[in-house]
Amino acid sequence: MKKFFALLLTAVMVLSLAACGGGNGTGSGKTDTPAKTDAPSQTEAPASDLEPVTLKMWFHGSTVTPEASAKVLETLNPYLQEKLNVTLEPTWGTWGDFDDSVVTALAGGDDVDIYFTCNWSPNEYNRYARDGYWVKLDELLPTYGADLLNTIPQEIWDCAETNGYDGKGVYAVPGLKDTATQYCWDVNGTLLAELGYNVDEVCAAGLDYYSDDFEALLKAAKDAKGANFYPLLIEAVVLERMGTTTAIVTGDLGNSNILSYYYDKANPSKDIGSNIVNKYATEEFKKFAERTYYLAQQGYIAPSSQNEATANDYRTATTQTGDYLISTQSYAFGCELDYSTARKIDVRMVPAAAPYMDATSGQGAMMAISATSKNPERALMFLNLLNTDPTAMTMLNYGVEGYTYNKNSDGTITFIDDARANYTLWTNGVGNVRILPPTNAQGLDFWDRFTAYYDSAEKLPMGGFVFDASPYEQEAAAIANVYAEYGFNLMCGAVDPATVLPDFLSKLESAGISKIITGAQEQLAAYLG
Amino acid sequence: MLAFKNYKINPRNPTFISSLFNSAWVKFDNFKFLFMTEDAWAAIRNTLVYNLVFIVLGVIIPVAFAIMMNELTKKFVAKTYQTLMFFPYFLSWVVVSYFLNAFLDAQYGLIPSLQAAAGGPVTNWYTTLGPWPYILVFSNLWKNVGYSTILYLAAIAGIDATQYEAAAIDGATKWQQIRHVTIPNLRGMIAILFILNIGKIFNADFGLFYNVPMQNGALFPVTQVVDTYIYYAMLNTGNIGMTSAAGLLQNVIGLFCILGANRVIKRIDSESALF
Amino acid sequence: MSRKNKGRRLTSVSAGAELILHVILGLFALCCVIPFVFVVIISFSSEESIRTIGYSFIPQEWSLETYRYAFEKLPQIWRSFFNSIFITVVGTLLSTAMCVMYSYALYRPDFKFRNFFTFFSFFTMIFSGGLVPTYIISKQLLGLSENYAALIVPLLVSPFNIIVMRTFFKSSVPMELIEAATVDGSGEYSTLLRIVVPISKPGIATIALLNALAYWNDWFQALLYLRQNKALQPLQALLMELQKNVEYLNRMAGQLGTAAIMESTKAPTQTLRMALVVMLVVPIACAYPFFQRYIVAGLTIGSVKG
Repeated sequence: MKKFFALLLTAVMVLSLAACGGGNGTGSGKTDTPAKTDAPSQTEAPASDLEPVTLKMWFHGSTVTPEASAKVLETLNPYLQEKLNVTLEPTWGTWGDFDDSVVTALAGGDDVDIYFTCNWSPNEYNRYARDGYWVKLDELLPTYGADLLNTIPQEIWDCAETNGYDGKGVYAVPGLKDTATQYCWDVNGTLLAELGYNVDEVCAAGLDYYSDDFEALLKAAKDAKGANFYPLLIEAVVLERMGTTTAIVTGDLGNSNILSYYYDKANPSKDIGSNIVNKYATEEFKKFAERTYYLAQQGYIAPSSQNEATANDYRTATTQTGDYLISTQSYAFGCELDYSTARKIDVRMVPAAAPYMDATSGQGAMMAISATSKNPERALMFLNLLNTDPTAMTMLNYGVEGYTYNKNSDGTITFIDDARANYTLWTNGVGNVRILPPTNAQGLDFWDRFTAYYDSAEKLPMGGFVFDASPYEQEAAAIANVYAEYGFNLMCGAVDPATVLPDFLSKLESAGISKIITGAQEQLAAYLG
Repeated sequence: MLAFKNYKINPRNPTFISSLFNSAWVKFDNFKFLFMTEDAWAAIRNTLVYNLVFIVLGVIIPVAFAIMMNELTKKFVAKTYQTLMFFPYFLSWVVVSYFLNAFLDAQYGLIPSLQAAAGGPVTNWYTTLGPWPYILVFSNLWKNVGYSTILYLAAIAGIDATQYEAAAIDGATKWQQIRHVTIPNLRGMIAILFILNIGKIFNADFGLFYNVPMQNGALFPVTQVVDTYIYYAMLNTGNIGMTSAAGLLQNVIGLFCILGANRVIKRIDSESALF
Repeated sequence: MSRKNKGRRLTSVSAGAELILHVILGLFALCCVIPFVFVVIISFSSEESIRTIGYSFIPQEWSLETYRYAFEKLPQIWRSFFNSIFITVVGTLLSTAMCVMYSYALYRPDFKFRNFFTFFSFFTMIFSGGLVPTYIISKQLLGLSENYAALIVPLLVSPFNIIVMRTFFKSSVPMELIEAATVDGSGEYSTLLRIVVPISKPGIATIALLNALAYWNDWFQALLYLRQNKALQPLQALLMELQKNVEYLNRMAGQLGTAAIMESTKAPTQTLRMALVVMLVVPIACAYPFFQRYIVAGLTIGSVKG
């Protein structure tokens, strides 16, 4: 037996050494290419002077059939060739397959030029920048992305800055999309009116989770609609942020949020002496968990919402029928109109806090150039075009006129539903949405109103801070399991905080949470200078 | 090697091998998270206990079923049973979990609503520890018995019929025939499947333990196993090195278990051993 | 006992005992099939019914809506169905042939390196190369990318099946038979094909069944190796993708903006999950009796002695 082992080991060693040698030889050639090109701005140069290149680009959340893809590329590619001498070869990542396949592709060093990335997908922007997967853009941007640099506001560039493999800088082009976060109570106005309330008055007065009025509303609905009606429809993690007025700390441990940053409800940019804290150890969290448990005990929260595996299905199904009174919502501009139409009820959005901007919203959708790209300059020129040229953006995003959409006389567009169903990209994940033509449903001034809303958002005092959790991986691994055991159940009111919270906190402590909190606080202090 | 490294790609030469050699050695750090907390130890304990139960029952029941089916005189009925037993193999654990949920769900479930109708206290099944070990063991058998039974059935089908005839002529009862003809002939298959299963003693069936209890944290004391523990850890860190470390550990333990089991079996019956 | 049953076959059990066997096996078989019946029922229930009374054996309302949604969302479903059949047939033939040949060599006691090759196959079962190295080798070295081969080759050799097949050979093929054939002047291949294979039919059919299931159920290879040429997607991968899309949107829609939220509300999530199982299981379940004929047929006739 030993002999076999020895044989096997030798074979493995020989093979790996050979591969290593080969790898070094082929790869070293392109080491210096990205940074050292000092050519004058090439965005202005005619396309014919440029080498023809093919760019492979990986999208997220697309629904594109092979036929529709071919049809659109037939029109898009000649346009790109004329502009940049670039041929686009897209990989239409879908919601379902992106997570698994993109990680293997990156680890396997696939020859893809541009990847979608952000701070909530598995190819997490900051971590992958740190590990060297993305090309640093700071030196390339003035030359190959000058327009881009001007189009995207400085605050968003600030949010995109991270401590990457080649030092602090920008490693991906942030999408100019819904760049602020705001939490709202989603109120079923139709039901509220049925219960005899003045909808406008109630909404204008605002809703306070801890007030008796809030509970009275729930009670009125429960009494009117019966024992099987659950008036408070929740997404537990969102409810927690609404109940405690905290923001996500970007870079917080993957799926388990253990960090909190408190901000001022009315003026998010106001300095209230906030610091990064252990979410569960605060008085506010205790108060929130007790309140939620109490409301759940009163029968205001559905048991299905209290089971992590059924909560999402239940929420989607229930919002669809409008069988709720108050729900939680991370607001997207204009969503109340869409919801009202879809649910056939009067949906009102009552802000729980003012909109704010931080790294989480700033890094919500980005396009990064892969370190394996042979043409990072051209990839950036393409991204530059995509974010500044309405024709290119519209074609990629909405398809071809006459095939997936028609132009209206007032400047809006109307989709041709059948074709559009086979060619739908996730608009926010593509680039600058503000240069798209408005649809007839949105109305002509939609993007102006959109821009005004998002530009009004205030920046949190912690700015574009991103927490680097990589020094704490052992702790993070242990904490993930503690969180999975208690976190959700506490936030949805399934368990009594009086008995469970102390256990939770002590287990977090022994898993090493204080080390992470201290580290995060030090990092924040260093960031703010 | 991944297990001992803090694996990172080398962006200047992003081939796997060069990346591997460029990553820093972290010695045993990647293994640390598996033993750091009492939760981790509980997960290890659960894995071992459940797997032992699965292995023992996973031999006895399929062998018994295969022999029983073989004794049925109506082959059409035997075929039907066998086909039906194979059905669970087609259902993913996710689907199974929803089936179980139809009975146990606090809002829509059959059992809680019967409890409520009877006026008794309603159990919240997804936060009550007691029944879960039994539910998990039964689910596992339910899903895998059909698969193993077919292996044993095929092995029985390979037994030379003249052996039974000879035994019957010698006046052996049915029970004696089973003991002296069928089981000795199945020995090889039993031994092999036993050895292969022992090799996975440290690997839990992720789908079963993750989906069937519907990820409810309140059930972790009896549902958390090594694979789910690693999964949650991975969700937070995305560190390939750590999962590789855990996977390596599982495999090494499996290897030693197999070698041990193989040696024991070789001593009992050298013909049945793996090598 | 056997004397009492003289009228019946020599080796059968008493009527009373058989009744007990029927009860035990029947009950368990029922346990096994009820969940599937349940899945079928849910797939034909309306979402509305599930919303009001939850999952139930007797829905308030029947509906074909889920299937309509699936077919509408998946214009290439028939193409994928064909892909699946093609991959399963070719894959099963190739992998079963390889498994039989490999394990036959391991079974022959006169094969000098049998212990090494047994250990080799078993070692790869315990220590796989890991996802990423496998991916790199398959894609860069073997060119398994955007083609049918990428969906067939990675599953060709299963160490588990090899070891099980070797055991089948051990228990059903007596070595003397092979020696006798060799003495009669039969070559190695003709011994394998004419003598060993017919005797081991139940075992081979079992392995073929396991291989067919593995190919039919596989979606992961498609996920890894089909990025652009999605027309080659097998059925399982297509259905899996749809389901994962719907579940992803359900989970994440909150942070993806209005378009994503609107998309998520259109999908019949809960019934879809079940309908996809039905669409996937029914075709392969139809193929099942074909394999079973060889496996259970063996029960009555015993082995064919040469």
